[in-house]
Amino acid sequence: MAPPLSPPALRRLLLLVLSLLITSVAAENVEEFTEELLLRPLPDRKALAHFHFRSSAPPSAAPSRHHHHFPKAIAQLVHQFHIKELELSFTQGRWNYEQWGGYDPMSTNYAKPPGVELWATFDLPLGEIDATWKNLTHTLSGLFCASINFLESSTAFSSPRWGFKLNEGNLRYGALPREAVCTENLTPWLKLLPCRDKAGIASLLYRPSVYKGYYHSQKLKLASSKSFGIILDQTLTVVLQPDSVRGKQLHSADGQLQPSWSMKDLFNRKLSGKCLVSKSSRVFFEIEKNIVDKVDKSGTEASWTNEIFVLSSAPDRVLKEINNMDGHSSSICEYDVSNYNEDAPLDVGVTWKLPLIWSCTPAPYHANRFLMGSGNERGSISLSFISTNMHKQLFDVSNDCSIKAVVFQVVPWYVKGFLHIDEYPPDANQGFDIPSALVTFPEFNSSRSYPETDSLFVSPLLRTFKEDGVVKSYTEVLLVPLTTPDFSMPYNVITFTCTVLALYFGSLLNALRRRTGEEERELKKAGNPTMLICLPVYDAHISCVI
Amino acid sequence: MASGRGGIPGPSRPCRLPLLFLPALLPLLVLLAFSFSPSSAVAAAASPGAMHNNNWAVLVCTSRFWFNYRHMANTLSLYRTVKRLGIPDERIILMLADDMACNPRNNYPAQVFNNENHQLNLYGDNVEVDYRGYEVTVENFLRVLTGRHESAVPRSKRLLSDEGSHILLYMTGHGGDEFLKFQDNEELQSHDLADAVKQMKEKHRFKELLIMVDTCQAATLFSQLHSPGVLAIGSSMKGENSYSHHLDSDIGVSVVDRFTFYTLAFFEKLNMYSNASLNSLFNSYNPSMLLSTAYYRMDLYERPLNEVIVR
Repeated sequence: MAPPLSPPALRRLLLLVLSLLITSVAAENVEEFTEELLLRPLPDRKALAHFHFRSSAPPSAAPSRHHHHFPKAIAQLVHQFHIKELELSFTQGRWNYEQWGGYDPMSTNYAKPPGVELWATFDLPLGEIDATWKNLTHTLSGLFCASINFLESSTAFSSPRWGFKLNEGNLRYGALPREAVCTENLTPWLKLLPCRDKAGIASLLYRPSVYKGYYHSQKLKLASSKSFGIILDQTLTVVLQPDSVRGKQLHSADGQLQPSWSMKDLFNRKLSGKCLVSKSSRVFFEIEKNIVDKVDKSGTEASWTNEIFVLSSAPDRVLKEINNMDGHSSSICEYDVSNYNEDAPLDVGVTWKLPLIWSCTPAPYHANRFLMGSGNERGSISLSFISTNMHKQLFDVSNDCSIKAVVFQVVPWYVKGFLHIDEYPPDANQGFDIPSALVTFPEFNSSRSYPETDSLFVSPLLRTFKEDGVVKSYTEVLLVPLTTPDFSMPYNVITFTCTVLALYFGSLLNALRRRTGEEERELKKAGNPTMLICLPVYDAHISCVI
Repeated sequence: MASGRGGIPGPSRPCRLPLLFLPALLPLLVLLAFSFSPSSAVAAAASPGAMHNNNWAVLVCTSRFWFNYRHMANTLSLYRTVKRLGIPDERIILMLADDMACNPRNNYPAQVFNNENHQLNLYGDNVEVDYRGYEVTVENFLRVLTGRHESAVPRSKRLLSDEGSHILLYMTGHGGDEFLKFQDNEELQSHDLADAVKQMKEKHRFKELLIMVDTCQAATLFSQLHSPGVLAIGSSMKGENSYSHHLDSDIGVSVVDRFTFYTLAFFEKLNMYSNASLNSLFNSYNPSMLLSTAYYRMDLYERPLNEVIVR
C-alpha cells in the first residue's frame, strides 16, 4: 500500500489542479481585441491606409453576460435579431480598380460601393426574416446616425439566392447609393472600440485627413455562431494624397519621384503607443509584388532598405508571401506598436530614392456601367467588360477566351413606371440613383498567405488575406434622370378650378338676384306721373322723394 | 370661493356678506385670481410638484442645398453650445436636412465654420446627428415632439422627456408668415406647431419649453401657441426679414445668421456654472445690429425671467 499524501502536499496538489482548471476555463472565455494598420504606396502617387480592429466575444448561453471590452450594443444586436452574419459599409468615393488593383485581398474585401451597403443573414425561419430586417434597419440607423431605415421598404432591399452569395433564402441585401458619409458616422463606429479614438491606432484618425481622401470606407463585419461566439471586425480603408513637401522632388535624370510620406504626413500625428487592452497592436507596411519585382530586377534584394526606397525605421519582422505561382511575392514589414510610447513615437514612412513606376494587378475584366439613350422609353443601362489579359498571364491559356462572371444588380421598379406624387424625394429633379452592380469572377481567387511566425497569435488582418476570396468588382453608381411630374400642378389646378367656380357661381347668383328694372316697374305700377327726384342728402345716401 | 356660485372668479358682484369679511376675502380673491393662468381655469398651472430634473434639446435645420450653409452652421453652433454647457448627446435630437461638412463643395472637409476666421470647427470629432437628409420632414419633426413613433424607431431618435424636463427647441431655415419651410418642398404651419406643443403639454412631456426660431418673420410661427409654460423667441417680427451676418469668401457663402451670431456671442461668455438669466439674453439683442426686432413671447410663461437656460 502506498503511503497517503501528507496534508500540505495534498493541498498544493489541489491548488495546482484548481489553477489549471481556472486558467483553461478563463482562456476559453476571454474577450480579445486586436488592432492593426496596413500602409501601402499606390502607383498614382497616393497612399493607402487600412485600419483593422477585431473584437471577439466567446460563446455564452445567456445573452445577459458581462462584457469587458466587447461592445454591448453589438452583442445585443446579434442576440435580438438572430444574426448569423452581417456586413455594413459606409463609403465615399470610388475604388479606382484601374490604378489601385483589382486582384488582391484589399480590393476584393474592402473596395465597397459608394453610399451605404448592408447585407445580413439570419438564423430564423424564412417567414420572419422580412420583419426582422425592418427592425434591424431601424436599429442600425439609430446606432450609426445614418438613414439606413430607408432600406426597410420592400422596394429598397432584395433577397438574392445565388447572385450575391450562395444562401438558402435567409440573406437580405440593400444599398443606399446617395447616403452621405461624414464624421457623424465615424463617431459611433469609434465608440464601439474599447479605447475609442483616445489611444492606440485609432488615435491617428484626424478627421479632416480622413474625409479629404479620395476614397474612404468604414466597414463593420459581424459573424456569430454557437461555436466561436461573436467576432466583430471593424475596418477603415482610406486612400489619401500625401501632402508632404518631400513629395514634390524631381530626380535629376529619370523624372518625378514618388512622394515620400510617413504617418505624420498622412494623419498629422504619430503613433504614441498601443491601446492597453489590445492583445496585439501592429503596423504593417506592404510592398507589393510588382514593386518587389522591379527592385529585384535592379539588382538588390527587396528588403526594407534598398536602392530604390528606404523605410523610416527597421521593422521588427519581414514576412514574405508564400505559395505564389508567379514567382515573385509581396512582402510585409511588421512593426510592433508596444515597443513605442509617447517619448519615442512610431512614424512609419517611406522615402524614395529613385523613381519607380509600377502597376497593380487588375481583375480579369474591367467592369463599367453607364447609361445610353434618353428618357424612360429609349434609355438603357449598359455594362461593359474590357479584358485586361491578366488571366492569360496567370493561367497561360491562350485559346480559352471564356470566363465565368456573375453580375448582381438591383434596379428599382420605378425606373420603368411612375411613383405616386408624395413618394418623390424633395429634390426629385436631380434624378434617381441606381446602386452599384457587383461583378464576381468565381474562377479567380485573390487570397494570399503569409507565414505565421508566432504560433500563439495570428494576425487577424493576415488571416483575412488568407481566406478564400473570389475576385469581385463593383461598378459605378448611376444617376438616372427620370421624368418627374410638375409639382406645382396641384396648386395651379386648385387655383384655376376655384376661380372658374367662383366666376360661375358668382355670375349665376348675380343674375338670379339682380333687381335692376324692379324699382322702375314698381313705380309704374303705382301709376304716378310725377318724377322721381333723387337727391343726395348730407349723410351721403340718396333718398328719393316722390 | 365664498360667493356661493362655483369656483370661477367672476367680476365682483354686489354681495350680501357683511362688510367685515370683505377685506379678508379680497386678498384671497386676488391671490386665487393670479394663480390661475390666463388661458383657462381648468388647465391650471404646470404640473404641481414636478421638479426640474433633466434638460433636452431639439435642434432642427430645415434647409438643404449648399447656399443654405448658414442654417446648418446656426444649428451646429447651438449644438456645440448646448453640449459645452452640459447637455449630453443622448439628450440632444439633432436634425440636419443636408450634409455640408462632407459636401463635395466644401473646401474644408469634415469642418463647418460659423465665422470667417475659421477658428472654431463646429463639426468637431464627436458629432451625432439623429435625423439626416431626407428624414428631416414635418412628419418626423412632429413625431419627435409628440412622441408618436412607429415601434421600430430606436431610442436615440426619440424625445424621451418627462414632466420634469426643460426642453430647448431651436429651428432655423427659411420661413414666412405663420410657416416654416422644410426641405424646399413642404411647410410647418404655426397651428401645427401649436397643436404639437399642446399635445406635449397634455402628455406631460415638458415642464418648460423654450422655442427659438431664426427665420424670416419668425415671430409669426408661434403666434398660435396657447400652452402654459412655453417661452418663445423669434428673430424677427411679422413683415421683417432676418439677415445673415457675413459672407466667407473662402467657403463662398454666408456662414451664420445675425440672430444666432449674437445669441452665440452671449453664450460664449458663459460656462456650465454661470448664473446668467434669460433677461440678460433678451437685453443683449440690439435691433440695429440684428437689422430686425427680436421678439419674445412671455405671456404663457409664469416665472420671471431670471433663470439659466441650460440649468
